[in-house]
Amino acid sequence: MTNPTLEMIHGLLYGYGLRVGRLGGLGRFFAAMLGDHGDTIPFIGPQIHDHAMTVAQVPARQYYFDAELLVNVQMAVERWYGFDTYTIIPDAYNFEVEALGAKMIYSDIAMPTVDTNVPLIKEPADLDRLGPLAPSKGRIPMGVEVARLITQKISGPLAVGFFCSPFSLICQAMGYPKAVRALKRDRGFAEELFFYAENEAIFPYARAQYQAGVKQTIGADAWACFPNLTPELIDEWVVPSAKRLLEKGKKELGMTIMAGQAAADYCEEDPDKFDKEIMFRCWSTARKTFLLDVAFSGMGRTQDWNMAWLQEFAVQSGKSGRKIPIFASLNGRFMRDSSPQQVVNKIREWINIMGRDGRLLTFIANVPADTPPVNIHAAVQAVHTLGHYPIAADLASVKFQIPTFQPFDEWLRGQPEADVIFKAREKREASTYVLA
Amino acid sequence: METLKTAIVEGDDRLAASQAGEALASGLDPLDVLNRGIVPGIQRAGELWQTNQYFLPDVVLSAEAFKAAMKSVEPRLKERQRASVAKRVVIGVVKGDMHDLGKGLVGAMLTAAGFEVTDLGIDVPLEKFVEAARSLKPDILGLGAYMTTTMLQMKRVIAELDQQGLHNGLKVMVGGVPTSQEFADEVGADAWGKDAMDTVRKAQTLAGG
Repeated sequence: MTNPTLEMIHGLLYGYGLRVGRLGGLGRFFAAMLGDHGDTIPFIGPQIHDHAMTVAQVPARQYYFDAELLVNVQMAVERWYGFDTYTIIPDAYNFEVEALGAKMIYSDIAMPTVDTNVPLIKEPADLDRLGPLAPSKGRIPMGVEVARLITQKISGPLAVGFFCSPFSLICQAMGYPKAVRALKRDRGFAEELFFYAENEAIFPYARAQYQAGVKQTIGADAWACFPNLTPELIDEWVVPSAKRLLEKGKKELGMTIMAGQAAADYCEEDPDKFDKEIMFRCWSTARKTFLLDVAFSGMGRTQDWNMAWLQEFAVQSGKSGRKIPIFASLNGRFMRDSSPQQVVNKIREWINIMGRDGRLLTFIANVPADTPPVNIHAAVQAVHTLGHYPIAADLASVKFQIPTFQPFDEWLRGQPEADVIFKAREKREASTYVLA
Repeated sequence: METLKTAIVEGDDRLAASQAGEALASGLDPLDVLNRGIVPGIQRAGELWQTNQYFLPDVVLSAEAFKAAMKSVEPRLKERQRASVAKRVVIGVVKGDMHDLGKGLVGAMLTAAGFEVTDLGIDVPLEKFVEAARSLKPDILGLGAYMTTTMLQMKRVIAELDQQGLHNGLKVMVGGVPTSQEFADEVGADAWGKDAMDTVRKAQTLAGG
């Protein structure tokens, strides 16, 4: 990945028909997002922090506390796999509540976790007691440093900081059942909770990121997926909250604060309950929180979806006969539990349905720690091979061999991240890492 | 009983608690209160969930109402269960994992289905599961995990149960967001609970077998 501005321009021109040269990853991304398509379908970097830690064999107690290590590990692992763009993110849901004093559990093998059995917020009076988030507390300085490093090392439009969006933050602070109870039974309290989350917890964190040079920050909101919340509840609470934060960021900082990311993600687990009408409502609601207009699948059980529905939605939502871009996610458990050939077969099926008319981007929704690396290498190379434009009329006839790949440690030697990662391993405590 | 049932279906925990208390105070048998009011209520919520008429917020509120009603009924039922042959289930979330929403729902649904449930809580160390298997002699041990890192603890728990010869008469179920049938097979579990309803169905099969 070289000069991001040039890559972006190359991608834009390519996407609009000036198909010259071979695109870089960022170029592929922009060709698919804003034009028709690039030279091949892009495979964008996924949320991968657990898996990257496992591949790099670094200790959790260091990885989740050391910004430089976390960023280096994820950049190295993502480049090893050959993703077209970087996505660098730590355990984004924990930072604000941890700094506000939530009881946490720290582990040798896993990310920090909030103990919602000892809730930070039980009643309205707790909001006064907590007061505003102090950017010097907990791992907020580390989070700010991660965002700064991302901005410095990746640069360009995909360099973003992170935070926990209001509804997810409320769930982290008081537990999902109590959060839902407030939304459905105690509107006044729910409004106070959102006000607190937006203004007293998230905004000070965003401001600290801004002061470190970060221009845009994204708020994960997996707790606001469907069926955790219905599209109606998301429209009522999550979408207006995201708009308020976006406006406040623009007005007071000149910064882009994008909350509600992955809200309304269709995460029904039971294929017998898949419902096209509800899916369409979810996708419509999800579009309201993205700055770029996309048809998005995330953490859902996409391996069992009828992807023709997502294609239909994207076409139906487009203008002048041009569909909106599709972000199609390979389910994390599917990636972990399948054989490489099953992964390739799924990609072949999806490209046939959604890739022929361009505007398709693929990724993995949160890579599980113990996902076999061969599955990820196979997925990336299959997308790049089978998704090469023009797409073959008969995809079944395109030969694709499950790739062999250089082991991570061999590959890492000579990479810019090698020293940081190897040094971290020296401090490793006695822990067991599982790598298939 | 109809008001109690409706309170649970509609997730009104205060009404559910007061209705259950009044029913007991009026001399009704706790088993009647359970079977005619509480269980039909939570079952109806489950049916509405299955048919996409209820979503997680509705089910969670119903489960909260269920728990509120059970607070007064459960102690009376436990005395009876001790004298009867209720199947015993021990559940817990593995070490390093603090997520207990799913476990709470599973516990509520298993109790409603007539199981005697012991909840070990969250962040449960391997040794505590093994000790519970030894001392409580449950028919089923349910392990929950909600992160791809902590789920690996399940394999260790099952391996330890195997090593100590405690897995012979005991059935082990696993569940939680990152788990799957493939994972359950891989770690040597006897069943995978896809969700709370599925867990109850499979627990009934395991306990009956």
